[in-house]
Amino acid sequence: MSREDYLAWTNQEFDASKIFSKPEALKGIRVLELATLILGPATPDYLGEYGAEVIKVELPGAGDTMRSVTPYGKFWKNQSLGQLPQNHNKFHLALDVRTSVGAEIFRRLAQRCDVVVENLRAGTMDRWGIGYQQLKEVNPGIIYIALNGFGQWGAYSVGRASYDAVAQTVSGLLATTGFPGRLPLKTGVFIGDYFGAMLGSVSVLSALHYRNRTGKGQFIEFSQGEGLMRLLDWSWIYYYMEKYNRPMTGNRDLAVCPSDVFICKDGPVALAAARDDEFKGLCQAMGKPEVAEDPRFADLLIRLKDENSVALLDIIKDWAKDKTVAEVDRLGSEYGFASSPILSAKDQYESAHFRARATVFEFEDPMYGKMVEVSSPAKLSKTPGRLKWTNKPVGLDNEFVLRKFLGLRTYQIEALAEKKIIGKWVENPPGRKPPDDWDGKAGIVM
Amino acid sequence: MTLPKITTTLPYEDFAVETDRTWVDWIHDADDPKKNHLKPEALDDLLVLDVSEANIGGLFCSSILSEFGADVVRIEPPEGDLARKFTPFGYLHKGTGLGYLVEGRNKFHITLNLKKPEGQEAFRRLAAQADVVIESFKPGVMDEYGLSYRHLREINPRLIYCSIYTYGHFGPEAGCGKPDYDICDQARSGVMAVTGEPQEQDQPKPWNVPTKEGNWMGWYAGGAWGAFGILSALHYRHITGEGQMVDVAPPEAELRFADYHVQYYHAFKELRGIIGAYDSAVFPYTIIKTKDGFSFIAGFSDVNWEGLTNIMKSPELKDRFPTIFDRLNKENQPLIHQELENWSANYTCDEILEMVQDYVINRRGPGTVATAKMTDIKETFEDEAWWERGVFDKGTDPYYGDVAFQAPVWKMTLTPGRVKWLCRPIGADNEYIFLRYLGVGKEKLKEWQKQNIV
Repeated sequence: MSREDYLAWTNQEFDASKIFSKPEALKGIRVLELATLILGPATPDYLGEYGAEVIKVELPGAGDTMRSVTPYGKFWKNQSLGQLPQNHNKFHLALDVRTSVGAEIFRRLAQRCDVVVENLRAGTMDRWGIGYQQLKEVNPGIIYIALNGFGQWGAYSVGRASYDAVAQTVSGLLATTGFPGRLPLKTGVFIGDYFGAMLGSVSVLSALHYRNRTGKGQFIEFSQGEGLMRLLDWSWIYYYMEKYNRPMTGNRDLAVCPSDVFICKDGPVALAAARDDEFKGLCQAMGKPEVAEDPRFADLLIRLKDENSVALLDIIKDWAKDKTVAEVDRLGSEYGFASSPILSAKDQYESAHFRARATVFEFEDPMYGKMVEVSSPAKLSKTPGRLKWTNKPVGLDNEFVLRKFLGLRTYQIEALAEKKIIGKWVENPPGRKPPDDWDGKAGIVM
Repeated sequence: MTLPKITTTLPYEDFAVETDRTWVDWIHDADDPKKNHLKPEALDDLLVLDVSEANIGGLFCSSILSEFGADVVRIEPPEGDLARKFTPFGYLHKGTGLGYLVEGRNKFHITLNLKKPEGQEAFRRLAAQADVVIESFKPGVMDEYGLSYRHLREINPRLIYCSIYTYGHFGPEAGCGKPDYDICDQARSGVMAVTGEPQEQDQPKPWNVPTKEGNWMGWYAGGAWGAFGILSALHYRHITGEGQMVDVAPPEAELRFADYHVQYYHAFKELRGIIGAYDSAVFPYTIIKTKDGFSFIAGFSDVNWEGLTNIMKSPELKDRFPTIFDRLNKENQPLIHQELENWSANYTCDEILEMVQDYVINRRGPGTVATAKMTDIKETFEDEAWWERGVFDKGTDPYYGDVAFQAPVWKMTLTPGRVKWLCRPIGADNEYIFLRYLGVGKEKLKEWQKQNIV
């Protein structure tokens, strides 16, 4: 069977137009979130993209701090763009859990949930009477995950504020990203948050597997700085063995050769070819088949030696400068080495490939209209992930959540609102309220 | 008859007994990584075949599963996986490169020649008994062997089959024929396009280019999403009994971590570009040069900015850049950054940390300020606090000897991950695995060896 035949089959099997004709992997799993910013909210978001039902609890009024984070202070339809990527498919309840009644409502909701996610400082939930020890009393099967900067215990866990960039700074990621002798580079995205939340949700799923086997729940803690350290591949073992203090090496990969970014006539191109046949292909593509025969480049292990690798990268650099990115990329396909332009959000937004894979995902939100966001990178053939709606204003689902899960009546909900135990959005700061053209109904379930 | 309660602890299990049961004490006791070996494993009912090649993403994916207790069988070609050579400067430790070594954990390492019909048949028989298959070939390669998901589901409908490849196994570019490398995964993720040092002179310098993250972030992102997809599919299988295929493209895996860039483009048709020490949505939230190194410092919201300017003893800065809009302004960011560095040039990273902590903990004024000293690999690795937290671990591997490595990242009260052995040489577990799953004894294995099947 040919590759074309196989691809015809996969394209059918994963047809993005069929996503909403298929079931969801995590249907029936209910998640209670008490979290702000990214690390906390992204964990239930990933689960929610695959069908978990997520109740996001915010403080009445200002809600999630991330509602203020938007590029250059530009709000879109009264939303901060920073709030969107980690708040899809959720029900938004604004509840003051710091009050005893609020805490009791939270406990009752936790009784009806499978997973609780929080990202407060260690011990805060406990103090409010809604920590793991209290919740497991009302729901012994609960899987409870706490994510934060420095963990629940240990020398750094007390009294230090943490953000994604703190994690980058203390983990060694910052010190190894950038060009030699230049400013160490912050990764341009909140990588410790989003990747950390991914690692967090993986542990929730493994705990869920164990609960499916035994009925038992448990507590999980995750620190984002520690999370990034896990990802720094060979840095630690090489230091342990040879005291090699890994420096910044720009785009050059010290462990794969060639693997670097080269400057073409019209911009940078990423290129790599480690396998011998790929490397030979690259040399042919460069019109320099003799390079593949050079003893300095005979094998990957030999090419990786510092002086050989520098010499080889110079040869490629010299070749690439007279080419265009598109030329190099075409040669990559033809000769079987890896190459790619550096894609921007615009390239991705307009890419037929990313759209066909439903990674760039277009949908119609009831309140904000046409949305284009990034969705669910693990493509599941039978139970694909999906986006149904985006972030909502603070407290939009108060009535629905309290009625559906706790059976509260209108007068009871009104009493809670009157006592300010539940509440809705405020006008200021911006980023909380519905869009100006909202009809007062769209997006409200009940 | 009731059995006596066994309370013996082994001599090396001298766990601290806490009396003051605050939350921190309770949880430290309950999820201390030192006790991991006393607890059960979440995934020890699973058999995973990792047949990925030259791909750290595949290795990390199966590492997550093996840390949680799954039996993972690494299947390499008879000459060994090329990933064993992904190692700085070609450095080998007992024949294996370091990139592979740290992601070989808890796995059984066998060889099998999938190009031979006998190898394919052996794989098929393993897959019939497996829960999960992980591969990283270009689309169509496994299909040609008769081992793609559409073949294997016929013999094992419960199987979860995960493919990891830069362009994925479907979509218009899936058949482009280019191999999967981390540098291209990062290049296609959108993260590189915003990471780098902006050009501030007329002529671009070599460092004014989109810059990759120092580690194999693209591959690791792909591996993590692979594990996420597999575990989600396992839950679905638990409910329905049905397996399925999981397809992950590492660039898309990392794109999911790339903030709001696609949303920003959708909303305003604008891009951020490479930002260096600046940020488009929170500022100051930046890296500054100090007397002895680099620090991160943040004071973004109005009240936190006030706190930061108080610590700097420059309240006039608060009035010069009073709102978040003033501070996010592209022209102002370099000015603010310069002011911060004028100040930080007089202090060491530790002095700045001390000033900030003194201000925040003793509430000497409004606002919370966050700072951190940049630590390099050496300083981070040698910091006792991380060892206490169980971030790093070292021990004696039966084959590789004295090694240190990053431990599993989660602390869990019931089923924490753990590392039991770090790696195994090429084909080290052939005898055990082929005997256990295929009933192939030593003699038969020798024949296979002669025929270059293993």
